[in-house]
Amino acid sequence: MESNLKPISSEPEEEILRILIADDNDSDRLILQTIVRKEGHTVYTACDGQEAIDAFKKLSPDLILLDALMPNVDGFQAAREIRELAGENLVPIIFLTSLKDAASLADCLDAGGHDFLSKPYNRIILKAKIQAFARMRRLHETVQAQRDEIVKHNDHLVHEQQLAKVVFDNIAHSGCVDAPNIKYLLSPMAVFNGDLVLAARKPSGGMYVFLGDFTGHGLPAAIGAMPVSEIFYGMANKGFSLQDILQEINTKLKRILPVGVFCCACLVDFSFRNETAEFWLGGLPDVFVYRDGSAIEHFASQHLPLGVLAGDKFSTETRLIPMARDDRFYMWSDGILEEVNEKEEMFGEDGVLKVFDRNSDPRLFFGELIAAVAEYTNHAEQDDDHTIVEAIMVAEEELGEYFSDQDSRSLIGGPPDWSLSYRLRPLTLKEFNPLPLLTHLLMEVPGLRPHSGKIYTILAELYSNALEHGVLGLESDLKSTPAGFAEYYLQRTSRLDGLAEGAVIFHLDHKPIENGGRLTIQVEDTGPGFDHGEKDDGHKTAGYCGRGIPLISSMCESVRYLGNGNQVEVVFAWSFDS
Amino acid sequence: MSGNPEDHIDMESLDDLKDIMEDDFQMLLDTFIVDSESKIEEIAGVIADGDAEALRQVAHSIKGSSGNVCASALSEVARQLEAMGKDGDISGAPEVFEALKVEFATTKDILLNKI
Repeated sequence: MESNLKPISSEPEEEILRILIADDNDSDRLILQTIVRKEGHTVYTACDGQEAIDAFKKLSPDLILLDALMPNVDGFQAAREIRELAGENLVPIIFLTSLKDAASLADCLDAGGHDFLSKPYNRIILKAKIQAFARMRRLHETVQAQRDEIVKHNDHLVHEQQLAKVVFDNIAHSGCVDAPNIKYLLSPMAVFNGDLVLAARKPSGGMYVFLGDFTGHGLPAAIGAMPVSEIFYGMANKGFSLQDILQEINTKLKRILPVGVFCCACLVDFSFRNETAEFWLGGLPDVFVYRDGSAIEHFASQHLPLGVLAGDKFSTETRLIPMARDDRFYMWSDGILEEVNEKEEMFGEDGVLKVFDRNSDPRLFFGELIAAVAEYTNHAEQDDDHTIVEAIMVAEEELGEYFSDQDSRSLIGGPPDWSLSYRLRPLTLKEFNPLPLLTHLLMEVPGLRPHSGKIYTILAELYSNALEHGVLGLESDLKSTPAGFAEYYLQRTSRLDGLAEGAVIFHLDHKPIENGGRLTIQVEDTGPGFDHGEKDDGHKTAGYCGRGIPLISSMCESVRYLGNGNQVEVVFAWSFDS
Repeated sequence: MSGNPEDHIDMESLDDLKDIMEDDFQMLLDTFIVDSESKIEEIAGVIADGDAEALRQVAHSIKGSSGNVCASALSEVARQLEAMGKDGDISGAPEVFEALKVEFATTKDILLNKI
């Protein structure tokens, strides 16, 4: 048979193509057909443009050799229709032409031709072109397949993220971030956000607000946010201190996050009763306090972010600042400060201060800041997560009820009738906050949980009186001025550090009564006591014990001082109806 | 017209073409000859009608197909007719057409000898 001239090669360009040849000239078509066939390809032929279109529909060839000038439908028109039919698939069209002028060649390209082949045909050139287009077509198919794959994966990913976000939102937003004294902006760059805003009411009535900014975006950042949320809400609800919560979050993040991933954060403990804010700030930009609608104070980060230092090197040292009613506390992630304008200049702290300067009504500041950032960037796509939190010092009553009465009236399952004594000696007093433990224990009493806020408040006041005034001998008068306020806490720390003897003793007793119970709390300290002869009526004790005792009296059936004043007894009677 | 085949046909290329076409070579030449004869008749008609555009198309086709069978002289004469059709001035066409017919006859003889 015919001599086999095909080179032996494993190159993929030697693949067999299905090629459509459309030429009205019989001898031309014959020559071309013979050459192409000898290259090993499968050939289909058409005698005019319409036949070429029909053949394309029926056979969908890999490559088309198309004569430009043909009767009926010419090559230009056929090329246009074939391109239309091919859609996004690449069907290389090589025009067969003896036309030489530039305008005619341009017409070929306009119609969708990819290349030309001049008559008389040159076998070598034809072969090279067929191979080149075979390669191009394969490349195009690969790109399309990869694109489709990417789209599929992306759809899958987005779908998964949406599901995960539902779970995430249920955990992260289970607190009180929508409380009337909080405004926040979280603008996600992906379904997930590297930023986290959490807020929870404390059993004692205060509020914790947390802003976290994880390195990175999206899923990796959000994964770290899950344990943070869980720890935050779990511990806040049980009345754990800011320090305990920070320690726990830091330890957890240090353990689970890879090196280089961490969480810049600010945790603030707002005490509405004392009108103070105690905060820990690590790695975030300065936080601002906007006082009286005029004065601005800002405080710089003192710590590394959460999840960086091991437990023994991690410091939970906080700052405590007084905040008057309606003072505003601001914190943000670095996203807004790092926004750039058209000259690539950052918005920065200066930008924030300018907005403060221009502000005439503090209530509008939050919105003005967001608008100023948007204007600065000329409403361009943001580069980073923007998170801004504003928390206002309000009266506790303005916040409404927090603990819901979700427990049943059943007495089954918990201990209604018991008593215990719990003596805390110096090492414990230094290291351990007994309030979460005691609150937790008391909440086991069936029906008592709705009263946990009041009970926590009572325990906290009595404990701090016993510890600070009784054991440590601090004078509460000191707290009446801002300078003294700081001095008081300084002394508290140093005296506690040096404490060698002394104790605080809790006696708790709970008895069931008709439709409720009676809880007796005695707190005793080893201090010298005081002359309480005229102070059995709690309302007169304000000078000695600060604001605590009148508040407790208002919650309880009775408040009594016993012994030499180093013992106080509170009776809290409750019913399922109250 | 000269009797030297090289003046009419690129003989080396024709030999290549014969190698490529193998058994189909005769069919190719037959096809070319039949096709060209019908086109020459067509040209007679369009010149009589004074249809310059039709002349351009038919002459273009002959130019291409004669080029492919290595008939370079015939292709050149067809190119002249195509150019006249394109310019729209076909007053000189009858004279060139006569030359085309003569050249085709010569080409045909040489090709048939080649088989």
